[in-house]
Amino acid sequence: MSKCVYVTYIRTTPQKLWDALTRPEFQKQYWYGMHQDCDWKKGSSWAMKFTDGRTADAGEILESDPPRRAVIKWRNEFRPELKAEGFSQCTYEIEPDGDICRLTVTHEIGVENSKLLEAVSGGWPRILSSLKTMLEGGEPLPRTHQSPAT
Amino acid sequence: MGRSKFVYITYIRTTPQKLWDALTKPEFIGQYWWPAGTMLESEWTPGASWTMRFADGRIADVGEILEIDPPRRLVLKWRNEIMPELKAEGFVRGVFELQQDGDCVRLTVTHTMDIDNAKLIEGVSFGWPIVLSSLKSFLETGIPMLGVHLPDAAVRRAT
Repeated sequence: MSKCVYVTYIRTTPQKLWDALTRPEFQKQYWYGMHQDCDWKKGSSWAMKFTDGRTADAGEILESDPPRRAVIKWRNEFRPELKAEGFSQCTYEIEPDGDICRLTVTHEIGVENSKLLEAVSGGWPRILSSLKTMLEGGEPLPRTHQSPAT
Repeated sequence: MGRSKFVYITYIRTTPQKLWDALTKPEFIGQYWWPAGTMLESEWTPGASWTMRFADGRIADVGEILEIDPPRRLVLKWRNEIMPELKAEGFVRGVFELQQDGDCVRLTVTHTMDIDNAKLIEGVSFGWPIVLSSLKSFLETGIPMLGVHLPDAAVRRAT
């Protein structure tokens, strides 16, 4: 079992945070230029796309409760040693607290010393820092505009 | 290496010097630290004592400066003073590392403690995301986050 938990507090509304997490026009601004193809309904397919259209990660929506909670079944598709680990599970939880939202991202997989978890645990702090900056009115952070794989 | 560990990384659009000042100077600490009005007091020299005080004057945590290399690295010895079961666990090590990254600074806060399932590590793992989210907002927008409440899970554990 490998697990990564990241908590951040963002001055925004649950709906704006949900939209920023799920809509491609926002994702492209803070997620290395990448976006996700998905309608965010339970059982729908989910795919993370590089800027050139290749699939980085793919899976399925296990739970969706806008604008509060989503659970993604998530497998890497472009690095064979990560793909071999199979599916991880990523949970978004949005909890409003006055004019602030607490966002908890929990990413876990049933593999010891997972390379996938090692990779995402380095990415989440940068992505979510950029997301927070963007939602609080700033320009998304540099180095989250460009995909690391392109 | 400690057996209980907490690591938090955040990227802030600022300079290492401004971030260092925000972490060590009372006039900045008083603006963003959570709970509101919490103050850190130290001469910020190697071997100096270090105290965290709540707004009502109670001492929350104490310790000592183990290493200090402005504006890059700070290592603290740290013990909780408010909750007896946390104080009984003794000192935790707290490391702050600031690395320039383009026009941002990557701040890494690491706490390690040489006991299993340390309650102090559990406590700081609720507090740091609030304090560091407030610090990031304060440095990037001028507006901190002082009104945040602890998550229900943390309140349940504390009561």
